[in-house]
Amino acid sequence: MKHAKFVTFLFSGLLMLNGLLFSQTISGSAHDFSNETWNTTGELCIVCHTPHHADVTVGDAPLWNHDVTAANFTLYNSATLDATVGQPDGSSKLCLSCHDGTVAVDNFGGQTNGTQFVSGGGLIGTDLNDDHPVSFVYDATLAGNDGGLFDPTTTNSGLGGTIDEDMLFNGKLQCASCHDVHNSSGIAKLLIKPNSASALCLTCHSK
Amino acid sequence: MNLSRIMIILAGLLIPLLLPAQSVVNTVHNLSVSGPGTVKAAGESEICIFCHTPHRSHPQSPLWNRNDPGLNYTLYNSSTTQAAPGQPDGAAILCLSCHDGTIALGEVLSRPSPIPFVNGVTVMPPGNANLSTDLSDDHPVSFHYSATLAAEDGELADPATLTGPVRLENEQLQCTACHDPHRNPFSDFLTVSTLQSELCAYCHQKDYWDNTSHKLSPATWNGAGNDPWFHTPYSTVSDNACENCHRPHSAGGHLRLMNHFPEEDNCLDCHNGNVAAEDIQMQLGKQYTHDVYSRSGVHDPEEPGVVEVRHAECEDCHNPHASRELPAPAPNANGFIEGVRGVNSAGVAVDPIQYQYELCYRCHADSPDKPASPTSRQIEQNNVRLEFDIGNPSYHPIEAAGQNNNVPSLLPPYTEASIIFCSDCHASDGSAAPAGPHGSIYPQILKFQYETADFTVESYQAYRLCYECHDRQTIIFSAGSFGQRVHRQHIVNEDTPCNACHDPHGISSLQGNATNNTHLINFAITIVSPDPASGRLEFEDLGNVRGRCYLTCHGVQHSPEFY
Ligand code: HEC
Ligand code: HEC
Ligand code: HEC
Ligand code: HEC
Repeated sequence: MKHAKFVTFLFSGLLMLNGLLFSQTISGSAHDFSNETWNTTGELCIVCHTPHHADVTVGDAPLWNHDVTAANFTLYNSATLDATVGQPDGSSKLCLSCHDGTVAVDNFGGQTNGTQFVSGGGLIGTDLNDDHPVSFVYDATLAGNDGGLFDPTTTNSGLGGTIDEDMLFNGKLQCASCHDVHNSSGIAKLLIKPNSASALCLTCHSK
Repeated sequence: MNLSRIMIILAGLLIPLLLPAQSVVNTVHNLSVSGPGTVKAAGESEICIFCHTPHRSHPQSPLWNRNDPGLNYTLYNSSTTQAAPGQPDGAAILCLSCHDGTIALGEVLSRPSPIPFVNGVTVMPPGNANLSTDLSDDHPVSFHYSATLAAEDGELADPATLTGPVRLENEQLQCTACHDPHRNPFSDFLTVSTLQSELCAYCHQKDYWDNTSHKLSPATWNGAGNDPWFHTPYSTVSDNACENCHRPHSAGGHLRLMNHFPEEDNCLDCHNGNVAAEDIQMQLGKQYTHDVYSRSGVHDPEEPGVVEVRHAECEDCHNPHASRELPAPAPNANGFIEGVRGVNSAGVAVDPIQYQYELCYRCHADSPDKPASPTSRQIEQNNVRLEFDIGNPSYHPIEAAGQNNNVPSLLPPYTEASIIFCSDCHASDGSAAPAGPHGSIYPQILKFQYETADFTVESYQAYRLCYECHDRQTIIFSAGSFGQRVHRQHIVNEDTPCNACHDPHGISSLQGNATNNTHLINFAITIVSPDPASGRLEFEDLGNVRGRCYLTCHGVQHSPEFY
């Protein structure tokens, strides 16, 4: 679980240092918008974050500077699903604020008349029934009910701590459970760990 | 940074190894290059990818990474299926997206071109794992397994009880009830062991099953002939249980998923002396049999109680879910024919039978197209139910004790109060032969020799069928006028067979009467003809072991003859 308040405090400082922390890895990645013609600031972080006047519509949003999606999503469902999946919240809602295709990528810093939309593989859309479920509590109880999941509170994520510590946000599974938006480890598709031998999937799934 | 990346990669490599033994990683469903099977990818390392993708999956859950074959399958169907299996859906169609053999195993939605497999494999190679698009030899799937269905069938568990390893999907029975594609603790990814058919029993609760030898027998195969258990790893009857006869996939007999077609092959792989002690197959090879070989696919469990299209399959007389060794006194049905259908003495279908003769009446009573009686008689009747009716002037005591309370020839333990089985006369010949009318060297599947030709020289052997119960000594050597003038005179001196005067089953009261047809008298008209003086062909019972006959026989006119 990440400590949002502490992060926010740290964060303002970091942003002022012009994003030194993530700039090395994010640059050149799919999330590096510093060279886009529509990003006149030429800054790396600005499309998503701002130290001032941040958007607070999404709880725990890290000094959010991007127009937030208002779409109503079709959620993942299946006969065997045990989790209670809700409308995307937390960081998933932030990702979908570009990846659902309803909000322009260049709708940031108060601008709402952008023209750049994600397309192709990047377009997740508002129908999440064909996507891995996100924005639900993944705890020991769910693991017990399902029978095919590891207990996130005791299972090692392979990233240093438990699944809960390294991959969940307030106990919830989000897009960022699998993806590292800042590309800090430089793994393809912005994954948080490599998926060779399906190691990412098998971190949580006891299959 | 570098160190942590190395750690991540190391962890990624290690995690599969650290997984508990029951993981998809160690199964043939790991189609990645690390998989243990022979059908696997040439280079792809991801395991889940062959079925799942985190994004842009097929609309079919769970996050399906394959196309729907979109085909029309030949479905399982039989007269005893209450369920209405539809075209495969739910999990079933997911399994079939590899197991019907139409879509390349490596063809996944998340890759622009199919993932290459070793040895140039594309679609599922032929074999047990390739079910093809003909599902008529496979256990039905994709049907609503409701409480109503269970009630209609009568031999199915209430689906509400399926909360353990065997589960339904949205109340539908799908492949996943029996198979868990991610775990293979038994074999074939089964959710429950098939040892003693534990898996089948979750849903199928067959009447009688708990007591049948087919569930309980520890018998083993002697290694000769066909392997009766060619599709299981088990080596006793009880361990094979349902699978002694049935196969959930690739069933030789599609209807009711039998191991083999034709029907009898299911029985005879064991009942040929190679598993069961008694060799029934040998009996069925004799000249006079209930011929199970000549017809196939005629028998149907749903056929009417009174059989309309003549046939005899093993399962007409035996209920393989019920059969067991349990003797019963006549006329009751014993364990071998427990739980079968029949027709009672009133001609009404019954299920199950209580008495042995009710089984015989299915075909030998009111059924159409019966063959004529082997002997032409003055009174013709080939409905044995009418011949044995207890209102008849005389009959062999099949349904109840006979009419005559003075039968001096009876050998112990028989008395005038005895009841006998049809199978006391009609059974396989030979002293060690297994019970029942399977096959005999004697016509009419008689247990012993019974000569019916005129001018048969009397001997114990020639009429052994009769002499087994009726003492030869008493019949032909007793001192009284009856013994001398009737039996000795005719049988010994004139070489006339018993069958010339006696109709062994009985004479229906609809045709005969208590004056002319007591003592099973109903003359064979090939031997006996009318008395030219009176034109009569008649026996008259005068009571007290006295009577007279009007007839001509061996050129001797009886107009009448008294005794
Ligand atoms: C494409 C959008 C995007 C860009 C560009 C981006 N971020 Fe973020 N950032 C996010 C999202 C979404 C989260 C919350 C989810 C998470 O923490 O993974 C986040 C979280 C954070 C956090 C707090 C959580 C953490 O991971 O520690 C910090 C600090 C941060 N970003 C810094 C930066 C800096 C510095 C830059 C520029 C070098 C930057 N981000 C660029 C989207 C972005
Ligand atoms: C400011 C808009 C924006 C936000 C917010 C955003 N993304 Fe992106 N993302 C993009 C764009 C634009 C691309 C490039 C898409 C393309 O190539 O079509 C992209 C690409 C990606 C890719 C593909 C990377 C590759 O190498 O192919 C992934 C994965 C991804 N984003 C995940 C996320 C996740 C997870 C979040 C939230 C934690 C997120 N994004 C938030 C705009 C955004
Ligand atoms: C369970 C893990 C998981 C979650 C949760 C997840 N993703 Fe992904 N995502 C992946 C993986 C793995 C890939 C790479 C797939 C591949 O290469 O086939 C991927 C690929 C992507 C891509 C790139 C697709 C492409 O074709 O290039 C985008 C964009 C993306 N994810 C966005 C998101 C967003 C937005 C969310 C939240 C709504 C999300 N992901 C949630 C695992 C996940
Ligand atoms: C961070 C943990 C985590 C990771 C990593 C992860 N999953 Fe999941 N996944 C879950 C949880 C939790 C659920 C919800 C299970 C439930 O409620 O039945 C889930 C659900 C699913 C489902 C739907 C199951 C159903 O019953 O409908 C599929 C399929 C799935 N995951 C596949 C994948 C694949 C493929 C990957 C790798 C690309 C992956 N997951 C990675 C945690 C994870």
